Amino acid sequence: MVTVDLSELPVREANDLIRKAGANGEDVDVLNPDARHHIGVGLADPITVRIHGSAGYFCAGLTDGPRFEVESNVGWGLADNMYTGSVVVGGNASAIPAVAIRGAEVVVKGNMGSRAGQVMKEGTLLCGKNANFMAGYMMYGGRIIILGDSGERVGEDMTGGEIFVAGKIQSLGSAAMQSDMSGAEDDDVRAFLDKYEISFKGSFSKIVNEGGNLRYGTAEPRRRAIPFFTFSGKSDYWNEKVQEDIYVKSKIGRYRIRGYGGARALPHLNDIAFKKDLSNAGTDPDVVSKVNMHTLVGGRHGAKPLDLSMPVMIAPMSFGALSKSTKLAMAKAAAMVGISENTGEGGMMDEQREAADQLIFQMLSGRLGWNIHDMQRADGLEIYISQGAKPGFGGQLMAKKVTEEIARIRGIPHGIDLRSPSRHPDILGADDLVIKIEELREATGYRIPVSVKLGAGRVRDDIKIAVKDGFDFIELDGMQGSTGAAGNEVLDYCGIPTIAAMQEAEEALAEIGRRQDVDIILMGGIKDGIDTVKSLALGADAIGMGTSALIAAGCIACMQCHVGTCVVGIATQDPEHEQRYNIDIEAQNAARFFESVRWQIAALTHALGYEDVRDLSRDDLVALTPEAAAITKLPYAPEYMAGEHQIQETVNIQRSGSHLQ
Amino acid sequence: MCGIAGVLFKNSDLNAKLGETLIEMLDGCQHRGPDSTGFALYGGEAETSEFVLRFYVGEGDEGAQNVDRVKRALVEFEAEILDGERVGSTYRAVVRYEGDVQKFAYAMEHAAKLFSIGSTLDIVKDIGGAHDVDDIYDIHSANGSHGLGHVRLATESDVKPEAAHPFWATGFSDVAIVHNGQITNYFKMRRLLEQRDYEFHTDNDSELIAVYLADKLKHGETLKQALETSIVDLDGTFSFLVSTKDEMGFAKDRLAAKPMVLYENDDLIAIASEEVSLNRLFPGHALDTTEPPPGTCATWSR
Repeated sequence: MVTVDLSELPVREANDLIRKAGANGEDVDVLNPDARHHIGVGLADPITVRIHGSAGYFCAGLTDGPRFEVESNVGWGLADNMYTGSVVVGGNASAIPAVAIRGAEVVVKGNMGSRAGQVMKEGTLLCGKNANFMAGYMMYGGRIIILGDSGERVGEDMTGGEIFVAGKIQSLGSAAMQSDMSGAEDDDVRAFLDKYEISFKGSFSKIVNEGGNLRYGTAEPRRRAIPFFTFSGKSDYWNEKVQEDIYVKSKIGRYRIRGYGGARALPHLNDIAFKKDLSNAGTDPDVVSKVNMHTLVGGRHGAKPLDLSMPVMIAPMSFGALSKSTKLAMAKAAAMVGISENTGEGGMMDEQREAADQLIFQMLSGRLGWNIHDMQRADGLEIYISQGAKPGFGGQLMAKKVTEEIARIRGIPHGIDLRSPSRHPDILGADDLVIKIEELREATGYRIPVSVKLGAGRVRDDIKIAVKDGFDFIELDGMQGSTGAAGNEVLDYCGIPTIAAMQEAEEALAEIGRRQDVDIILMGGIKDGIDTVKSLALGADAIGMGTSALIAAGCIACMQCHVGTCVVGIATQDPEHEQRYNIDIEAQNAARFFESVRWQIAALTHALGYEDVRDLSRDDLVALTPEAAAITKLPYAPEYMAGEHQIQETVNIQRSGSHLQ
Repeated sequence: MCGIAGVLFKNSDLNAKLGETLIEMLDGCQHRGPDSTGFALYGGEAETSEFVLRFYVGEGDEGAQNVDRVKRALVEFEAEILDGERVGSTYRAVVRYEGDVQKFAYAMEHAAKLFSIGSTLDIVKDIGGAHDVDDIYDIHSANGSHGLGHVRLATESDVKPEAAHPFWATGFSDVAIVHNGQITNYFKMRRLLEQRDYEFHTDNDSELIAVYLADKLKHGETLKQALETSIVDLDGTFSFLVSTKDEMGFAKDRLAAKPMVLYENDDLIAIASEEVSLNRLFPGHALDTTEPPPGTCATWSR
């Protein structure tokens, strides 16, 4: 038995000792916890940890296998994301106990704070006394047993699972209803009580999802394929796309959902030009070797940085929105060209981990597929706050794509229209976020960079918060970013353009004098090496590409990603459609595209007179439109329009003489 | 974006420990806000016409000039200066003043940034941690019946003393607030209060809560009543603590989105963002704490 005294050791060292004891199979006694946070976080061995006193936030969080016993109270987020194992708390638990558990048994002998069991998937949460506001909020599965009163709005927006309440049901949440409890369920609950030696003789009421809210009612009728550019600002006002939109809404009576990117004409990188005659760009066949593009991301606070052969990443896209084959092609392409791949929402696959040299693991509000084991084998962790295509909204995955496999990985019921929560259970302000980031770092021994993905909205404030909270890098996503599914209006009208986001970020960092403390990865409609160089000159440390990588790897841009019947096998889970997708060929295609990006970055940087992409600056740019000038504060110089056309031509033509032999 | 703390002693034996208690509590949750730390201290016996004013004046020559300006403003307003000293970046004046406090306060705000006016309240705040502020302002020797504290994570604005918390209810003596969260109908509520001729000297939502409550108190409501209506009127996520000359209270939003833990024994009531702050007062002891439910409030007095 190992004894850890927190009056002598900081939590970080204590956790190292606890994990070491776990590896040796020894139990641990924790003395003087004094309600400190993160005790036992990241432990993945089946030992017993006894905590003498009260624990703070995220006690037993991000664990798999151990048994925790806490003598007194616990703070927010008890047993966060715990897979197997158990926690028994002698006193009260603060808000969100058993948040996102995936099979653990959590027993709180006293009262529970609000939102107990939020987004839990599997396992049992037992409360010996009263629960509070919104117990079972957005739970996907598992069961909550409450021996006292339920609290207000119990089962709010629950999708699956059961809540058994012995005391008074104060009020039911939306989407929850009372139902009959079977004899077998009653036996199960009592067996659980016996297991934890809790004597209770009363009877229970059962609460479940009322069933009406799991699928959209009427399906969207599909009329005809109208190209996405038809409804850009340059077409007629009452064009056929607008008519179709009205027609569809007249059938379904709600907002429409679609995939792909925004289709409005917005100020973007093509409204910016280089302030130099670049007609000789690309004439040097050996230009790639003459420009330093090697980029490290996320190492500014001591974590092992991502090591990118050029300042480019593949943007987060999920297995779910995309087929497994497509994700594997992305992983392979990333490895071939020396850049990073990102899991997106919904978990990591073994094959993906194997194929990608460098893989970022994304954590979303629903904690779908999130777990300690995959965290520990990731090269970067990412807290998704929102994305450019739909800032402020959670992900959507239509039932057609929620296959049994995907439901299992994510821990959700099979065949629902999945609408992920719009906010995290445990991030309700910059102060909570500090504690959350530290939990992720504790769980991974401070080895892996932690990033945040921000959809561009209130960028100035958000960037300041992200830097204050100590993120290693920020993925900033403008409204030209694409998505697998979002409300049509949200896609086209929410957020701010990518160049505006970059500008606000730079200004915010200058205001607080912290530019050197964080890496900014710009995303949102960045289509090639030319856009990349402009982004870098505007201030980005690297960029992310999603849509262009998909197009390179076979996407035909039909904008029907959400439907689930993608004909080329990309945005689908239908095995018949996926069969059409050739992973190795498409990986090669994507890799070739990225090599063209590399070549363009080199050619332009070199033609601008530099040997390192870090020498690019705003001085290299002008704005071609009054809007772009107003947004970026670059000089307005429409006379550069001709030169811009020429670059697009030369650099694009030159690249076809590919150096990739 | 912060951590908050408050303590009220049930009998005066403990008064000498006010400063020390708050320092410990704030040091315990400094991870929630490492940038600046502040204290609202209620000490001494209230004399009706005697007030403590704490101004932010800055450092060096600029500070000296600001002190002169404050002194002139005080004289102009016929406030008799009984005592005055420069500490850190502030100037603390003790004055005798007989007129309308609100008008006086607004006039003084125009002379220099005013942290607080009180017959018992003194707000001390500066950049740095609880111990840093104590080193300059000698907080640990503060004596009093109750007090609030705040640690700030500066996210929207620079790290500067005048952006630190607690806030006072601009124009009202002896009302202080510490708040964790965000009021989302800030501008709507501010317009409403500005129409009643209240002045705002920051864009901070904590100042809004303080003025909102002070307005209710002025119109004869008890602190408890004012807190009850605040839960309905204020939209957003919040846990806040408020104190007056003789009371301390809290209110928590209807979603319980921000944390707050409470501990009470025969000697004191202590409230903080996290239990770790309360534990600082009783190291090695597991405490029987409670977490107030969403949409609730309470008050205590000596």
